[in-house]
Amino acid sequence: MNNMSKQSHYKTTTAIQASLKKRYATERRFQWYGRLAVLTGFIFLFILLADIVSKGTPAFTQHFIKVDVIFDREKLGIDSSATPTEIAHADYSAAIKSSLRTMFPDASTRGEKKSLYRLISVGAQYSLRDMVIDNPALIGTTREIWLPAHSEAGSYLKNQVSKDLPESERKIKDIQIKWLDTLVEEGRTESRFNRTFFTSGDSREPEMAGIKAALYGSFYTLLVTFLLAFPIGVMAAVYLEEFAPRNRLTDLIEININNLAAVPSIVFGLLGLAVFINFFELPRSAPLVGGIVLALITLPTIIITSRAAIGAVSPSIHQAAMGVGASKLQTVVHHVLPVAMPGILTGSIIGMAQALGETAPLLMIGMVAFIMDVPGGVTDPSTVLPVQIFLWADSPERGFTEKTSAAIMVLMGFLVLMNALAVFLRKRFELK
Amino acid sequence: MQTTTIFLTLLALCVLSFFMGRNRSRVVAMRLGGGLASLHSLPQHYGYMAAMWAAIPALFLLVLWSGFESTILYKLVVAQLPQSIQDMPTSELGLYYNQLQGFAQGGFGGTEGDPAQVAASEHYRVLASSSSQLKAAMVLIVAVLGGLLAVRRVTPLLRARNHVEKIFEWILFGSSLVAVLTTLGIILSILFEAIRFFKVIPLQDFLFGLQWSPQMAIRADQVAASGSFGFLPLLVGTLLISTVALLIAVPVGLMSAIYLSEYASRRFRAVTKPVLEILAGVPTVVYGFFAALTVAPFIRELGESVGLSVASESAMAAGLVMGIMIIPFVMSLSDDIINAVPDSLREASLGMGATMSETIRKVVMPAALPGIVGGILLAASRAIGETMIVVMAAGLSAKLTINPLEAVTTITVQIVSLLVGDQEFDNPKTLAAFALGLVLFFVTLLLNVVALYVVRKYREQYE
Amino acid sequence: MKNCLIGAVVAFATFGSIHSVQAASRDSVSIVGSSTVYPFATVVAERFGRSTDFKTPTIESTGTGGGLKLFCSGLGTNTPDITNASRRIKMSEYDNCQTNGVTDIVEVLVGYDGIAIASSTESAQLEISLNDVYLALAKDVPDADGKLVANPNITWKDVNPLLPPTKIEVLGPPPTSGTRDAFVELAMAGGAKGVPDLKELSGLGADQVDEIKAMMVKLGVPLGVYEALAERKGKAPKGKDVFTTLAYAIREDGAFIEAGENDNLIVQKLQANPDAVGIFGFSFLDENRDKVQGAIVDGVVPTFDSIAGGEYPVSRPLYFYIKGAHVGKIPGIQEYAIEFTSLKAMGEDGYLPERGLIPLSGAEFIQIQDDVKTLKRLELQ
Repeated sequence: MNNMSKQSHYKTTTAIQASLKKRYATERRFQWYGRLAVLTGFIFLFILLADIVSKGTPAFTQHFIKVDVIFDREKLGIDSSATPTEIAHADYSAAIKSSLRTMFPDASTRGEKKSLYRLISVGAQYSLRDMVIDNPALIGTTREIWLPAHSEAGSYLKNQVSKDLPESERKIKDIQIKWLDTLVEEGRTESRFNRTFFTSGDSREPEMAGIKAALYGSFYTLLVTFLLAFPIGVMAAVYLEEFAPRNRLTDLIEININNLAAVPSIVFGLLGLAVFINFFELPRSAPLVGGIVLALITLPTIIITSRAAIGAVSPSIHQAAMGVGASKLQTVVHHVLPVAMPGILTGSIIGMAQALGETAPLLMIGMVAFIMDVPGGVTDPSTVLPVQIFLWADSPERGFTEKTSAAIMVLMGFLVLMNALAVFLRKRFELK
Repeated sequence: MQTTTIFLTLLALCVLSFFMGRNRSRVVAMRLGGGLASLHSLPQHYGYMAAMWAAIPALFLLVLWSGFESTILYKLVVAQLPQSIQDMPTSELGLYYNQLQGFAQGGFGGTEGDPAQVAASEHYRVLASSSSQLKAAMVLIVAVLGGLLAVRRVTPLLRARNHVEKIFEWILFGSSLVAVLTTLGIILSILFEAIRFFKVIPLQDFLFGLQWSPQMAIRADQVAASGSFGFLPLLVGTLLISTVALLIAVPVGLMSAIYLSEYASRRFRAVTKPVLEILAGVPTVVYGFFAALTVAPFIRELGESVGLSVASESAMAAGLVMGIMIIPFVMSLSDDIINAVPDSLREASLGMGATMSETIRKVVMPAALPGIVGGILLAASRAIGETMIVVMAAGLSAKLTINPLEAVTTITVQIVSLLVGDQEFDNPKTLAAFALGLVLFFVTLLLNVVALYVVRKYREQYE
Repeated sequence: MKNCLIGAVVAFATFGSIHSVQAASRDSVSIVGSSTVYPFATVVAERFGRSTDFKTPTIESTGTGGGLKLFCSGLGTNTPDITNASRRIKMSEYDNCQTNGVTDIVEVLVGYDGIAIASSTESAQLEISLNDVYLALAKDVPDADGKLVANPNITWKDVNPLLPPTKIEVLGPPPTSGTRDAFVELAMAGGAKGVPDLKELSGLGADQVDEIKAMMVKLGVPLGVYEALAERKGKAPKGKDVFTTLAYAIREDGAFIEAGENDNLIVQKLQANPDAVGIFGFSFLDENRDKVQGAIVDGVVPTFDSIAGGEYPVSRPLYFYIKGAHVGKIPGIQEYAIEFTSLKAMGEDGYLPERGLIPLSGAEFIQIQDDVKTLKRLELQ
């Protein structure tokens, strides 16, 4: 009997040990699944960022080529008594072309000459023009001047094009490669920080394209968004948290706000198109309309976070203020809001960051157009940074791929800044 | 006088009233000899009251006037026109009026109108200019009167503070109504255009049609696609991409949440969670670029290397990237839900000798299931409404397929491609975008309402 | 309390800025229209903006039809000043303009463009005839008995045994695009005329009702088509009208994919999918020689010279239209047009031909420059 029970006991123990072993293995496996999931998230993030940074970094440098520019009156098409207006409208591209021909006399056929001119950016003539306007004494002289390279030549100089590809499969021709190699040997090429990218608007030439216009557009759009969404959002939050009676209307408003937060942003674009553009006849492509639409999108975020911040204010502050005879409004404005402000600002900044990255609704209201000039106000046609990214991503020229990634890096930089500010505010808030 | 100028003057009047009201209260108090203590409210409350009296009625009048000005002018001018012209159909009359307005503003492409029109345009010009002058005068008079009235009413017994606060409360209430107005605006504007669409295309053809080919002729003498508006291929395409996205996001997001809330140390969690949440902050246009230029070619090459034919804009690529985007979304939601499961359940299970993973799978998960389902519904609504990723990385042709390696199109892609560029609000093609918008709005709304309900019920269970 | 005052000022300023919008005037030229002219127009606009004191024009790519519709919607600052077109304005559009008060239109012919039928450089170069194009893409094609049936062709080999056995997958523009109009007129109709019965049908006049109906029966086309046409036109249709209805219709079963207004997108998609064929302007082919190659159509390779010389069968003129009533009211319209038609831009060595535009001949060029200077009014009868 005893023996049997011992045996059965032994059996049970081994069974338990075996099952325990299995159960622990399962436990370890389960933990590993968890680690794997977290790791997968990290890998995705890493690939995404690495892909964009590796594609975008070359865009921050630009190659220049030193050309002996002959400011020949005849080529410029002006005589010695030229007025400043004539100087401003002189043919600087002809001067660049003839200078290039002098440097490389071996370009003989029409096609070869064309390839030769394609070494230098189209924008070079405008920088020459500005130089001559500043210093008319340059006319008639020959100077060594660093001119920006064409984007195709630039991408060869950045080692993005392999010489081993057959000529028909690359944009840059063999003869151009020969000239460029000569220039490199003579020390006539130089890589500099790409200032153009930050100081000019959109362009059809990748080497001349910049994000300044889009940045200004984003600024004006966000300004309108902030001016509308912040006061309305905070006031709505104050009302719902402090004043609203519990009734069906208040419930309706609350349900509404929660649902609005989850409506796809493109639907807001449809609203903007139907109401602001078609009904109120506000101008297309304007930051004003973009700002209003984005304000409506961010409003729920601001209301929800502001309510949370106001709700988190300790009731003792309320009671103290009420106790010394302050009215409800005075209590809120003088005591509750100042304490809740960091929290409200955090939420608003996060809402603004969301608005900064928004693209789809802006496509609906005509902010996708070729716009080169920097907008000067909220009604000027303009584009915003994410839409500029969308436009460039669609461009076939190779040079735009790196511009797109670089613009993404700038956009992400702003987002990181805004979020860092929000985190900073929250930290300070928590200390209090 | 221009509206801006009126505004600036109004603002100045408002400030002026504030100071007048404040001064007046002090003067009144001094006259009584009781000092400021004899006032019911603080002097600035009287100032605010005066400013509000100056601003609010005048502002109201201005908005009302600006809103109805054109309609009233139209009615007045048209009433003066000869009967024969008044009998024209509304659209032609509108055109005629438009031309007449053009004359009044100086020239209309060099064309000459008939004498009645020229006379009417003169009439219009006079009316319009007097209306705008009258508007400025009236608004400013109302402002001055309002301000003065308020200032005159200042007495020590006047409950200025209560007065001001009541108005403020109304303004606060008005702000909270903006959200309701937005929803109303969305529903009305979309519904209005969608109804016009359904007048041309029957509802059942739209909901159950198997073919989507919306590019119909935009001129009478053009032959184009016959224009079929069957919505099913779009729905299937949308669901296909969203399913791929959820198949990526749910396991990764859920397992991460479980690991971070049940196993990970505080420090690991404090570092990992914000880093993964970066994925949620990346703008969707960036994901779109990533999907179109990096992921899609990669999947295509991968497929070809094992002998599969993969479309260049496969649902797989868009879905995968969308999945990455919603990982943090699923993660935070599940994290909240798992944390809401009372520890007593865990402790009971662990006390019985269950391992951690058994506790999670057999106790925590079943308890959290409704909440997690709610979270997944929210994630699905997010995926269905996502636009930029699919615009940049999904296809345009509406194919009825459930093979993720083929190119499909989605509701949002079609809205964008129908509306960007050519817009003419009498064409079913443009209106179709609004019908799609309506469907999108209701589908996401439904998912949200259900999800929020489920989550709330779940929370209540443990509170 | 100071906060409240600041808040009030901000609120006022916001309201004020929104209201002042209506009074704001536009001081930059607004351009819409064809995606084929878009790359040329943007280049001109950019140079125009950089080299003059005018603001750079704003250009939206909306397709020729869409652009003309916006352009003809009326006068005023919220309508475009210029629309680009990759075909001539149609009578119906001209009439629409006239009724909406847009009476003074200046037509500017800027050059020519060929329509390329292209595929990725990774695939073999296609060599097709217009007839092959018609048989591959028409909605209905003749079967063995000469009756029109829904297009059964799945691969290019089904169309013509000499072609490769790859699936027919053609990316082309939607009807808002001038490229589409030109493509159906030049390629589809041209190809359909390779079918003798259809060719005969197109030659019949409006009075030959019985012949038309007989031919329709022979082709297996329901006579309802005739009645519908008669009703739409308000008079007896010509054989040509019936022919157009049959030949211009492109299949809708997924073999032809309408790829939106963005020609760049088509190029990208071709690069990703070597079996697909794309239809777009020659300038895009020229820009993207490293990614796509043009098919040889009726034995002619699409090149600069073959299009300018008129040998390439699918080529068309490009235009833009100026709203005369806006000239002088919105600054820079005429100056922009003068820049566009200058020797520097449109001349044989100008910067537009460098981008793939096929320039006008000498006499045409001088005529156009003159038209722009005098703002010659377009009269269509």
